[in-house]
Amino acid sequence: MDKPQMIEHLHESVAYTVYDTKWIPLSAKFVVLGSKPNSHGILDIYELNEDKLKKVKSVEKKAAFKCGTFGASSLRNRHMAIGDFEGRLQVLDLERPEMAVYNVKGHTGIINCIDAIGGTQLECGAPEIVTGGRDGAVKVWDIRQGQEPVVDISPPSQMGDGVNRSNLRRDCWALAFGNTYNAEERLIAAGYDNGDLKLFDLRAMGVRWEATIRNGICGLEFDRRDIPMNKLAVTTLEGGLLVYDMRTQHPTKGFSYVEERNAGRSVGSNGVITGPKATVWTVRHVPQNRDVFLTGSGTGSIRLWKYEYPDRRVFQDADGNKEGVAGKLHMVSAVTLSSQPVHSFDWHPDKLGLAVAGAFDQSVRVLITTKLNTL
Amino acid sequence: MEKGKSLLQKYQIPISNLDFGYVEKCENAREMEKIVMILRSGEEGYFPDLTRCAEDKLKKLKPDSKLFRTEEKIQQSNVLAKHELKPIYDWTNEIKNKDNVLSELKEEDTVPSLDIPPVRKTTKIDIDKDETETSKNKPAPKASAKPQPKSTNEQRIKSTDYSKWDKYDPDEEILRMDLEQEREKEQAQIKLKNIIKTKKEDQMEISEESTEQQRLNAQIAKLSQVEREQYAEKFRLRGNEYFKAKEYDNAVREYSRAITFDPAQAARSYNNRAISYLKLNNYLLAIKDCEACLRLEPDNVKALLRLADANYSQGYRRESYGIYQRVLELEPNNISAKKSLEQLRQQVGELAPAHATRMVIEELPSDTTPTTKKPAAPKPATAKPATPKPATPSPATVEPVKLPKDYDLAELVKPNRVIKSKIATAAEALGGTLKGSNSIANAQKQQMQHMMQKVASAQGQLRLPQSPCSGSTNNKLLIQEL
Repeated sequence: MDKPQMIEHLHESVAYTVYDTKWIPLSAKFVVLGSKPNSHGILDIYELNEDKLKKVKSVEKKAAFKCGTFGASSLRNRHMAIGDFEGRLQVLDLERPEMAVYNVKGHTGIINCIDAIGGTQLECGAPEIVTGGRDGAVKVWDIRQGQEPVVDISPPSQMGDGVNRSNLRRDCWALAFGNTYNAEERLIAAGYDNGDLKLFDLRAMGVRWEATIRNGICGLEFDRRDIPMNKLAVTTLEGGLLVYDMRTQHPTKGFSYVEERNAGRSVGSNGVITGPKATVWTVRHVPQNRDVFLTGSGTGSIRLWKYEYPDRRVFQDADGNKEGVAGKLHMVSAVTLSSQPVHSFDWHPDKLGLAVAGAFDQSVRVLITTKLNTL
Repeated sequence: MEKGKSLLQKYQIPISNLDFGYVEKCENAREMEKIVMILRSGEEGYFPDLTRCAEDKLKKLKPDSKLFRTEEKIQQSNVLAKHELKPIYDWTNEIKNKDNVLSELKEEDTVPSLDIPPVRKTTKIDIDKDETETSKNKPAPKASAKPQPKSTNEQRIKSTDYSKWDKYDPDEEILRMDLEQEREKEQAQIKLKNIIKTKKEDQMEISEESTEQQRLNAQIAKLSQVEREQYAEKFRLRGNEYFKAKEYDNAVREYSRAITFDPAQAARSYNNRAISYLKLNNYLLAIKDCEACLRLEPDNVKALLRLADANYSQGYRRESYGIYQRVLELEPNNISAKKSLEQLRQQVGELAPAHATRMVIEELPSDTTPTTKKPAAPKPATAKPATPKPATPSPATVEPVKLPKDYDLAELVKPNRVIKSKIATAAEALGGTLKGSNSIANAQKQQMQHMMQKVASAQGQLRLPQSPCSGSTNNKLLIQEL
């Protein structure tokens, strides 16, 4: 076998619902965030010890944890920013998790998604955390500034007629920072439950571009946050996987993309697609190779994809406008990991092929992917 | 989807096509995919042989068909051999050390030492679709929005209102619609242009490389070794990505950063920057980088190969030759080195040792015996361009001596690659002999005579000796004669 192979290295069953898994940068430890049956939040730190996992620390808090990130913390402090079910954003020092470094009630409902940037990137602007919630708001936080977000991207307030307009309040499901290649440029891509995809420009303070996809957007990621934006991967309900070429924006057509319709379904052992259309929950690019990424699907399978660039990425249309050309998606391999959706996945930032995955079957798995460097 | 409809009906494929004969003939990949799907579904019955046959055919028509995607059950780590797991265990231990170092660092200084950019000014972006989206463009759409209701009103003329229909001018309406469309397009373009403009400004800022370098250095000073390594590695990987995407300029920039962050372990970055320079046809810088890499890792075969390549492309064939030989010393079976050596040999022949001088003898200019010599002399010169090296020292020794204008030996002798020191010593030696024979004019005369003699007597057989050993004896003779 010369193609990459995904292997389950370690398996840990837990007694709570796992919501997010993240490696601690420059360490052999990862954090598992979840919700206990009594809806308390739990944070476990596991350490990799050759062929077994050791639980290093366990922290319990009142509200269930939904999502977390290390993106805004430097290598020295490695604080974790966590969003919970009550709309609270806290930044925890994992050595002293009892007292939050920063704590703010940012949203009225669950914080669905979080992303952060600026911690380890040099010359790339301030460290910032962005949260998106069930209240439809997207808020950018700088922990040096008190209790107010630095950027507030909210739908208009509902004056009294909340009943009538409640359907206008979209649920923000996915967020990603991108285009942060110098101190000024910064973008946020936000995906909503109705399939709206919006690109907010934090430099010009406006909507750069928007589109509507057939289904609700569950996962979003730029292939790299800290370069001029190159590609954006989007995953949706009912198995959609879209990869946008973000290099070239056409004045009317926007960005071009390549789409995969059934990325969430199980392909089965003989290629027969069976079962209902399944959500693609998450997409994560390999930190060492931006053209390879993994999707976790509702049927409990994970798939490894490779994006192949076209020969020419830009062409001029009849009006002299530049239009991007999307490449092709090539499925490298697929494995069944669990009987339940695999909704969280994190590649180790420093070790090629090492990853941790969380699934709704109350377990976390450490995976090894071999021969990734051959792609 | 449609219940009760079989795949056969859905795809509208006649059942007669589910047949070995048809499958053999079919050249339509899309149809073949449908046939395979029908056969696999088992709706029309179970035909293992036909299914296999159809799959084989599809593989021929469309090897990357989605139908060949398969999913496996995840395998446990026991499928990996011990030696495959070992790197991960090693890495775990290594990373733990780094982890501890970082934790200590954290205890040491609580004040963040890096300059963090200031907090952003608090702002709000409204995303209500109709009202405030793209707030900058707000006035423009309003202006264009005003005529719109008018036109819609006008279009809504009742079918019975004949007086109004008389006034209705379709051409005018069409023109108006066209204008509106154009205006919208313009707006979109202006918006995009603004974005591009700001981008360009940024690039200008970035281009102030030297200030960036200074800032980088200032930051490096504040970092610990572990952090530096980490940053260097990140930049190197990013460089690799740019390289893969064939953006060599960017790759060079990232590699350079990696080198500044961790110069002690920058062998790989130097090596990669060298190949990027090679791709940019910047051979001199590539040579420099390869050498830097080799200083850190003297036996790096990749770097050697790149160095040889760069030298060759720059025209330094001899150096290139030597380096390829060095590669073969390290790796006797290196295919690319062997191939390149073979090529080099074909181009320049078996290269003589480095101290030899290779010269091309073109043709004898006007002389006392040009007509007789011409047919004889140039022939061997062109026929065997690679071998005359051993014979050349004699013209080389002649060169420094001033000659009468009518007999210009400088033209006769064209050094391809002159090794100066050699000529200088030869000239000195010659000078010594000349002094012995007193007058320069005398020497010249002697030389002329000698040349004439040589040429006259040789007439092709002696002029360009076939074997190097006979040539060398000849040279000795010549010098002795002098």
